Amino acid sequence: MPNGTGSAEIFENLKLELRRGCLTLAVLTQLRTERYGYTLRKALADDGLEIDEGTLYPLLRRLESQGLLVSQWREEDKRNKRFYRLSPMGEEILNQLLSEWQRINESLGKILQEA
Amino acid sequence: MSKPANPLELVDRYLQSVRFWLPKTQRQDEILAELGEDLRSQIDAREEELTRPLSTDEVAEILKRCGPPMVVAARLGPNSHLIGPTLFPIYWFVLKMVLFWILVPVFVFIVGPATLASTHGDWGAALGNTIGALWSGLFIAAGIITLIFAILERTQHFAAVQCKWDPLKLPPVRQEPHERKPSLARSVSEVLFGLFGLMWLLLIPNYPALILGPAHTFLKAGELWHIFYAPIVGLSVYALLRSGLTLARPDLTWLQPAGELLQGVLTLVLLNFILKAAGHMPNAEWQPFVALTDAAKGSRQYIGVAAMVNASILISLICAWVGICIASVVRTWQLLKYIRKRAFGEGQQATAQLR
Repeated sequence: MPNGTGSAEIFENLKLELRRGCLTLAVLTQLRTERYGYTLRKALADDGLEIDEGTLYPLLRRLESQGLLVSQWREEDKRNKRFYRLSPMGEEILNQLLSEWQRINESLGKILQEA
Repeated sequence: MSKPANPLELVDRYLQSVRFWLPKTQRQDEILAELGEDLRSQIDAREEELTRPLSTDEVAEILKRCGPPMVVAARLGPNSHLIGPTLFPIYWFVLKMVLFWILVPVFVFIVGPATLASTHGDWGAALGNTIGALWSGLFIAAGIITLIFAILERTQHFAAVQCKWDPLKLPPVRQEPHERKPSLARSVSEVLFGLFGLMWLLLIPNYPALILGPAHTFLKAGELWHIFYAPIVGLSVYALLRSGLTLARPDLTWLQPAGELLQGVLTLVLLNFILKAAGHMPNAEWQPFVALTDAAKGSRQYIGVAAMVNASILISLICAWVGICIASVVRTWQLLKYIRKRAFGEGQQATAQLR
């Protein structure tokens, strides 16, 4: 049987896996409004979903390479910033993902009720 | 390292370190620009909260939270691996096969004896040379195999091969030798041939033609056969008893591999003694296995024949020794698997009972 430290570590790892699955949905939803990296991180953190630079930027690059996001470098406050927003395909995929998320939530609700 | 006069210079130093660890791709500058912008935005936000510029130590805190440059570069850079998860199981299998099942036996059974011969029986020098050559061989082989698989990974050749997989072409379920009962036909044959073999052995002293054929007119059994005849008969009796027990108790699936392993070990011991004794015989009259009869001693032709037969038997015994060694290693491994499986099964039962 795992001891206290072991079970805390297991919980942290599983928590990370759970969060990882939700991050893509959260990022796509937030990018219905155009943001750059830091403001996106702040918006997610304000809503309770902290994400570090090492996780966010590779995710944004991957989503952009998949055609779900478009980005543009622009000068703002005398500094060059890269702004991201959803592409039309990104909107479509986001709507499908949100339906899927609803479905998963309902299924999980039923499973938890039965348990 | 000196503290920078300007706290923001720390950010530039940090980005320089991250750049060092990032792969040199077209996107390197973009990645660093984004990271730099993020860090400066964090500094701006903190300065707005505190209504004053940040000190060098406070900027350092922000960078510490971001993480060590090497780690950040690994996360921000493209995912790269030498051999991916699809190919890795095959790579590992091929590596084990080549290194442990081909190279090591080749060095032990071929290169080793050859080195021993070249060092004129100096075991220390032979062992040192063989181990040295084996060590280099293992590294070179591992390097070549890794390189081949790394190339396969990059050419994506294997992905096409994987797509052609067909469930209908899977091999049938294989049972471990110790899991299946020995076939009746095999057990009966073993007993019959064992019996036949033992009878033949027992008749040889009185009827040498049974082993020497027409050559028994000028050849007879050599000195070694007289010394080792009894152990050879004993081994045949053991083999016959083992076969009989396997026939009588086919449910004891462990009996066959265990019995064959013991037989292999006993045979190896006997062969060792025979080969050692053959090696110690005087060169002048080296006739360990077959010797000339008194009538044929003067004939040069028969001397030549006797020499050839002795050499042939020696080579055959050496080959048998090598083969039995390999078979014994395989049987030991099978037995250990059986014992581990039994122990695991008993462990599971005990855990189930505890619950």
